Amino acid sequence: MLLTTSVGSFPKPDYLAKARTQFSRGEITEEELHALEKKATAEVIKFQEEIGIDILVHGEMERGDMTTYFAERLEGFGVSGLVRSYGNRYYRKPVVLGEVKRKAPMTVETFKFAQSLTSKPVKGMLTGPYTMTDWSFNEYYPTRRDTALSLAQVIHQEVADLEKAGAKYIQIDEPALSTRPEEIDLAIEAMAIVTKGITAKTISHICYGDFSKIYPRLLDLPVDQLDLEFANSNFANLELFRNPKFTKEIAVGVVDVHSHIIETKEQVKANIKKALEVFPLEKVYIDPDCGLKTRSVEEAQAKLKVMVEAVREVKQELGIK
Amino acid sequence: MIRTTVVGNYPKISSDKNVPNLRNALNQFDQKKISREKLEEVYKATIVRVLKEQEEAGIDIITDGQIRWDDLVTPFAKNIEGCEINGLLRFFDNNVYYRKPVIKSRMVFKDYTTLEEYKFAKANSSKKLKVVLPGPLTWAKLSLDEYYNDLKTLVTDFSQILRKEVQKLDQEGVEYIQFDEPSLCNFPQEIGLVKESLRIITSGLKTKSILFLYFGSIRNLTSGLFDMPVDIIGIDLVSKPENLDVILKADVKKEVILGCLDARNTKMEDEKEILQLIDKVSKNIPPDKIYISPSCGLEFLPHENALKKIKLLSSIATKFNS
Repeated sequence: MLLTTSVGSFPKPDYLAKARTQFSRGEITEEELHALEKKATAEVIKFQEEIGIDILVHGEMERGDMTTYFAERLEGFGVSGLVRSYGNRYYRKPVVLGEVKRKAPMTVETFKFAQSLTSKPVKGMLTGPYTMTDWSFNEYYPTRRDTALSLAQVIHQEVADLEKAGAKYIQIDEPALSTRPEEIDLAIEAMAIVTKGITAKTISHICYGDFSKIYPRLLDLPVDQLDLEFANSNFANLELFRNPKFTKEIAVGVVDVHSHIIETKEQVKANIKKALEVFPLEKVYIDPDCGLKTRSVEEAQAKLKVMVEAVREVKQELGIK
Repeated sequence: MIRTTVVGNYPKISSDKNVPNLRNALNQFDQKKISREKLEEVYKATIVRVLKEQEEAGIDIITDGQIRWDDLVTPFAKNIEGCEINGLLRFFDNNVYYRKPVIKSRMVFKDYTTLEEYKFAKANSSKKLKVVLPGPLTWAKLSLDEYYNDLKTLVTDFSQILRKEVQKLDQEGVEYIQFDEPSLCNFPQEIGLVKESLRIITSGLKTKSILFLYFGSIRNLTSGLFDMPVDIIGIDLVSKPENLDVILKADVKKEVILGCLDARNTKMEDEKEILQLIDKVSKNIPPDKIYISPSCGLEFLPHENALKKIKLLSSIATKFNS
């Protein structure tokens, strides 16, 4: 009960950020870059073990953007020129240019490596078919539905391989899901393909949106657990889940990942208690609002530490182990 | 004779190495490696490049690409007393973010937002220029209201601020002023409020005014949209193809902009299909009252794709007109 976890990404240490730039300029080899990614992954695992996180993530040291990483490994995708996401931040957007196919497993090696470093469960981490569709240009498939369902097949293969490799938790993120409420049926249809026949616990992280437009239909998303942000809106969306009752497991975001300010233990405890007013204790997991990659390493660590300490005290107060 | 225009923003940077590197300049400015003056030079060179590209592509009514704008609302929020700027939120259904203005007290005009930008663009272009502003309802819906607690008063106060901006632009001789109202598609019940606001903003103007709706459906706006107190209505025909039916059936006395090239996908349209679409519309609206444009601002595309789209737009107009 009240197991702690993270949404996925961790900040890349300076040496890795530098190495990625050097690699993009052709100054170091792929092997050299991989070695540093492994070093950074090992550090992320060690840190989470040390502070006592229950379900670990590998930190996504090998990934830049959460859609581009997969697009670069799938047949049928190209990558566009630079598109602005905000301010002076740009990214290369995937472009669907042909039939989407998986050439080889994309995340299994990294998962196996991370899992080999710890006896605690490490989550398999994927981007969902709806989000891959929504965040790509499409020059090939006639409709968005065609694109999403084709991607769902491919992502299902990856989920099955992760399960075979021993993943107990597999997270398939759908952050785009809340942006077009009229397409929630498509997101659900696609996710059903992804998780069909999977016995590992499946999770989907959704963020940045107006949940009121997709709730309670959201509960039909075929995953075991939803991972939602709460801290950054000061739990404004919490009441929504009271009625109708939330039926899935829920991972509750209790620290804001877009703020430099480290929450106090008291604040985080209060956040956890707020969540427990609406969600039943046995279904609640605790994590940050979203991936931590935009924070500094120090900020990310401080936020997770305060989160774990707060959970520990709440558990004590409630008399749970 | 149909004419061509763009909707508003345009990519600020390019993979073309010969283009001024605004991204790099902003990074260097943040790290205090270059001066404010040097950054200004790069801004100006970028705006001149954007104006020139549209002129060379043959676009009839151009914008400065809103190169200094991070999003549709913060430039105004900075010039309004009573407004603060908050965290990032998704801009409609795009994987693009804007900063949410927070209204803390009564909104009062502090300074012009687009006046200097317009003057600079005017001095550096020979085509007709359009200034693009956030519509009053969209402004209100994208903001967090901690003061008014009443949409109508909020919208009315913002309209007064827009009125001031617009009057100044009018005196300066700007040819077109556009109000972007994507939120009206999501809140069709506010059509009366938007009409009233536009009446405040546009009364007595010499310049041509445009109301542009993108991303959403206009199906629930048929009664009233074409009576708005503006000269031109712009409509996104890509995000909601059903919008075409509305235009074909409506009694349109005004000029219209048909947002017919997808500004959110790199795929290039088939020229013939677009020509057929314009043909259909021209049975209901005379060609000299028709403009064609991308479906929304072009900043959702990489630069090379945006440029291809405006060239295609211009080629389509040339073919239609000949």
